[in-house]
Amino acid sequence: MSTAVVHVANLAKTYRTPFRRKKVEALRGVSFEVAPGEVFGFLGPNGAGKTTTIRCLVGLCAITGGEARILGQPVPSRAARARLGFLPEHPYFYEYLTVGELLDLGGRLCGVAGPERRQRAATLIERVGLGHARNLPVKKFSKGMMQRAGLALALINRPELLILDEPMSGLDPIGRKEVRDLILEQRDAGTTVLFSSHILSDVESLCDRVAICVAGTIRDIGRPRDLVDATTLDTDVRLALADDAPADAVAAISARGSAVRRMPGELVMTVAGADDVDAVLAFAHGHGARVISVTPRHETLEDLFLRRVADDGPRQELVS
Amino acid sequence: MTASVGRIWAVALNTFREAARSKVLYGLVGLVFVINLLAVVVGEMSLTQQARVARDFGLAGISIAGALTAIYLGVALLYGEIQRRTIYAIISKPIGRWEFVVGKYLGMALVLTLAVVLFALAMVLLLRFQDVPLTGAVIRAVVLAWFEVLTVAAVAVFFSSFSSPFLSGIFALALWIIGRLTPDLRAAVASTHTPWIKYAAKGALAIVPDLHLYALSGRAIDGTHVSVNGTFVGWGYVATGALHGALWIGALLVLACAVFRKRDFV
Repeated sequence: MSTAVVHVANLAKTYRTPFRRKKVEALRGVSFEVAPGEVFGFLGPNGAGKTTTIRCLVGLCAITGGEARILGQPVPSRAARARLGFLPEHPYFYEYLTVGELLDLGGRLCGVAGPERRQRAATLIERVGLGHARNLPVKKFSKGMMQRAGLALALINRPELLILDEPMSGLDPIGRKEVRDLILEQRDAGTTVLFSSHILSDVESLCDRVAICVAGTIRDIGRPRDLVDATTLDTDVRLALADDAPADAVAAISARGSAVRRMPGELVMTVAGADDVDAVLAFAHGHGARVISVTPRHETLEDLFLRRVADDGPRQELVS
Repeated sequence: MTASVGRIWAVALNTFREAARSKVLYGLVGLVFVINLLAVVVGEMSLTQQARVARDFGLAGISIAGALTAIYLGVALLYGEIQRRTIYAIISKPIGRWEFVVGKYLGMALVLTLAVVLFALAMVLLLRFQDVPLTGAVIRAVVLAWFEVLTVAAVAVFFSSFSSPFLSGIFALALWIIGRLTPDLRAAVASTHTPWIKYAAKGALAIVPDLHLYALSGRAIDGTHVSVNGTFVGWGYVATGALHGALWIGALLVLACAVFRKRDFV
């Protein structure tokens, strides 16, 4: 028996268009597992199947093939949903409710008893920084406030698994930081987190493991540093070089690299790989230049992501 | 079971809260007051029939405004949740889809009950203003109108489980009108010699709730003329009408739950 918090095996989802009944395969055998206490990132371009996978897991869509289990419970099931918290992409709530009423509704649906429900709601409202807006109807909330209200709603049942669909989407840098901090806080408290995102820097910094989903299948899965190529792709070199340096010296140094930019008192260039860097630096020094910085650039998650999307050929956006 | 009741109650309470904060509902209550005021004017014009006009207008106001309110609220009840995407945060909680449908209906039934009470209060106030006595027949007629409204609401909710508010509104309105015309449909079945009219009328009678049961003042029941202004039906009839309504409501909700259970929320 798997100890995984989320176990997804060969998950398939086929939609039919309303009138012509044309088949649209949104998921074509997605498989992955999320271990207890892990922060798991789900990456993919629009229409890759991230949101569909998440909707299947939380019971919004029926699975048409394969199987999924959450904390050992079959999906879809009430037992599975009782132990997870979910934040949808671009959350919408009953706009006439205040955040307190919204959390009260969520608590009731999760079977949280009265006094405990009120206490949890009050704590969560403060935690997500909506104390000042507790008496406002949700319709007056900004995008960031709505997102935070959604996070509070997802946490009302003290879930063992938190599923967040694009939690940073549309947020300003402060909002993104708040969501990042909340995810880390939940991880530290032992909650397993599965989230999808387009913001690769957030995924890279937050996730223990990631899965890259393209065209309804998983292309890569693992720790971010294991997925990317560790070899140096190229090296950014920044040199101090006087403005009145001889033109032939500048041309000779520039010829050793690419993407050359001449700035006041400086020459910035990129040297392919790492092997020639020492020779280029020695050559530049011999022509009166002084080294300011040398920055090797390795493959990033973004490079890998873009490579996988490019491998897939022209983009075909499926129903997300 | 208790947990299930708790979840249904949570959804019902939320639905009631939503409707209670809708400005349109207050407009409809105002409309009923206007209808009753109109009854005063028409009653004055009829010289000797003020009481009859006041009762008939008042009851018609409850029935029509109640049914329109039921259709207005019911057609968006489930579809609106999907369109506004508010359902995502609800269905992902440990609630059964049938509990959600039943809770939504019960919440709306609470609102409609409150609306019927307000409509009836408006009528009673104006009856008192005209020194028209409030009789048992009027109370029984109000109870029947209440069941009609709840049945129409279930029709609207059923359509809302799979179609847009506009189409649901048209379907529900058509069923309400056809449901009110069941005696005419039965007469058509008995008298027509055109096969397609006969079959169409028979088909309509089979799939449409008999709403004529609830608005029978001034009509004939088993060959006897009944009216809230004279001899009216007893509580036994009201109970039968209530049972008929409850069975239709139950069947329509079961169908709505079955449709809703299969839906993907994308």
